[in-house]
Amino acid sequence: MKKLFATAIVIACFSSPCAAAEATGDNAAAVAEGIATSTCQNCHGALGNSVSGNFPRLNGQQADYIAAQLNNFRSHNRSDPHARAYMWGMASQLDDKSIAALAQYYASQTPTAPQKGGALAAQGAAIFANGAPAQNMPPCQSCHGEHAEGNGIFPRLAGQHADYLKRQLEAFRSSLRESDVMHVESKDMTDSQIEALVSYLAND
Amino acid sequence: MNVHLTRGFAFRAAMQALAVLVLLSVPKSADAVPSYARQTGLACEACHTVFPALTAFGRTFKASGYTLFNTLKVQDIDKLAHSTLSLSDLPPVSAMVMASQSLEAKANDSNSSKASTDFPQQASLFYAGRISDNIGAFIQITYDDQSGSFGIDNTDIRFADVTKIDGHSVIYGVSLNNNPTVQDLWNTVPAWGQPFIASPALQSPVAGAQIQGALSGGVAGLSAYTFIDQSLYAEAGVYRSALQGASVAFNGNQDNNVIAGVAPYWRVAYEWDFGNHSLEVGTFGIYAELQNPTTPAGGAINGSLQHAPTDRFLDASFDTQYQYTDDETQISLTAAWIHEHQNLSASFVQGFSTNPSDNLDSYNVVASYFWHRKLGATVGFFGVNGSNDPLYFGTINGSPNSTWGLFEVDYLPWLNVKLGLQYTAYLKFDGATSNYDGLGRNASDNDLLFGYLWVAF
Repeated sequence: MKKLFATAIVIACFSSPCAAAEATGDNAAAVAEGIATSTCQNCHGALGNSVSGNFPRLNGQQADYIAAQLNNFRSHNRSDPHARAYMWGMASQLDDKSIAALAQYYASQTPTAPQKGGALAAQGAAIFANGAPAQNMPPCQSCHGEHAEGNGIFPRLAGQHADYLKRQLEAFRSSLRESDVMHVESKDMTDSQIEALVSYLAND
Repeated sequence: MNVHLTRGFAFRAAMQALAVLVLLSVPKSADAVPSYARQTGLACEACHTVFPALTAFGRTFKASGYTLFNTLKVQDIDKLAHSTLSLSDLPPVSAMVMASQSLEAKANDSNSSKASTDFPQQASLFYAGRISDNIGAFIQITYDDQSGSFGIDNTDIRFADVTKIDGHSVIYGVSLNNNPTVQDLWNTVPAWGQPFIASPALQSPVAGAQIQGALSGGVAGLSAYTFIDQSLYAEAGVYRSALQGASVAFNGNQDNNVIAGVAPYWRVAYEWDFGNHSLEVGTFGIYAELQNPTTPAGGAINGSLQHAPTDRFLDASFDTQYQYTDDETQISLTAAWIHEHQNLSASFVQGFSTNPSDNLDSYNVVASYFWHRKLGATVGFFGVNGSNDPLYFGTINGSPNSTWGLFEVDYLPWLNVKLGLQYTAYLKFDGATSNYDGLGRNASDNDLLFGYLWVAF
């Protein structure tokens, strides 16, 4: 019966608005799975493990971070190019319960491990662990966790797409993506430091 | 693609042969329609690399029946909470305008001009978007300056749904459309392949396969399809003639190229998406028995459709498409090969063909590069090769062979506005490089420079 219901939600979603499938306490997980597997997966991949660096992996991402970003998309408080092009529309009709359920759905998926390896990745590991004191850049791990697994509203970075990580760091640096904290952290970051961090964190 | 409709399908013998030629060269209307963007809240780049070429997401959106939406709606339910109404709060209406200037290498004759201005070359109105939860449409009404009139253009109305079977995402649906391949998802098929737009003044070779536009607009097709895991696509359907401006319901109707019974259509394709890359290989085709056939040379049989003889055409095609897409770079490589076997039993008996059967191969290879979806260049190579048949093709040496190149540069100041400069260069035209018409005209005399503005809003 549960499987049948989940299928019904799936049927309802991609060919109708995701907002129509309102999540309640009882059916939240099924609604989230329906939205994710019928709509979100077209860009973010099955179970959130996207194949394209144009779209971030969501599998194993922090639930609070996903919920915060979906709220930001819905309210247009995040306005980098891809947010405008894709997520403003996709999040516009999501209600709070659906956002919470989607966040839980992706957070519960198995994350992708980073590749880690090579001299460049070693440089990135050093920046991630120690920061760059000469540039007043604190260690990334102080917010994102020792293994870049994320923490609450601070996202998992480990195993993310290299293209995506690079694009986000560049967007924070230029303030194209709004985040006072990350702009301060990245404003003096060099291209080579970004390349090193991405090499350490990403899996492509 | 659009002009054929407004030119009418009740054209008689000679005019129909001419129409076939024109159909092979007229611009293809894009399904880059802003009402889809308004309906989904997604910018053009979600569905298009650069319009009208589709991204992987755009293909899924189309296969899903154009129904994804992220806007408010007017709705109603019955006492059992079943939906009885689900209307978009805004009608999915859009418009498109094309304007152009053409310059041919050499005027057709002393009474013709090398230069021509087309404004609008084409103007279209679209109903493009969701109709209900599982039904969506792409319906285009087009004004064409060559005919000076409006007409029904590309139409694709579809039911679609998505489910999950054994862990696989399965989109399935039914399309009702008026042009074989207009329902397709890749930019390799005749309805949506390169060139996306061409000059009304461009001379086109006499020969072309039926599926390359000859049937479009005057048919009704019903096909069922499935798209599994956004990778495996399979479709089967049938087409019947649906004459515009005429009817087969009356005795004595002598329209030409009317499908006897139904024409089966098939499409199978597989797409691999990896990273920012996408690769597709596939096949498509149609088998059509045409009553009262016309020939490229202008021959026509005009009998009652109750008893009309038929020529039979089997088009079998193979296609492939590669795309690389990120924010900075959009690369597309497409190739298609269409083989047509022509059983000309009716035309042969009438003395309209030299051979009882012919073969025709049409092919194209096109490469396109865009920078930031703003500046782009396209290079293409096209060709037609076929049996030597002086009576059927009507060329001076009996050969239908033609080859030509396409060169285009584009600038998009906005994602929905394209400025293009296109050059078509013929290496061979209707069987010869020089004096192909016996009057001293060379293939290269048909070379054409074409500048255009294409706006969708």
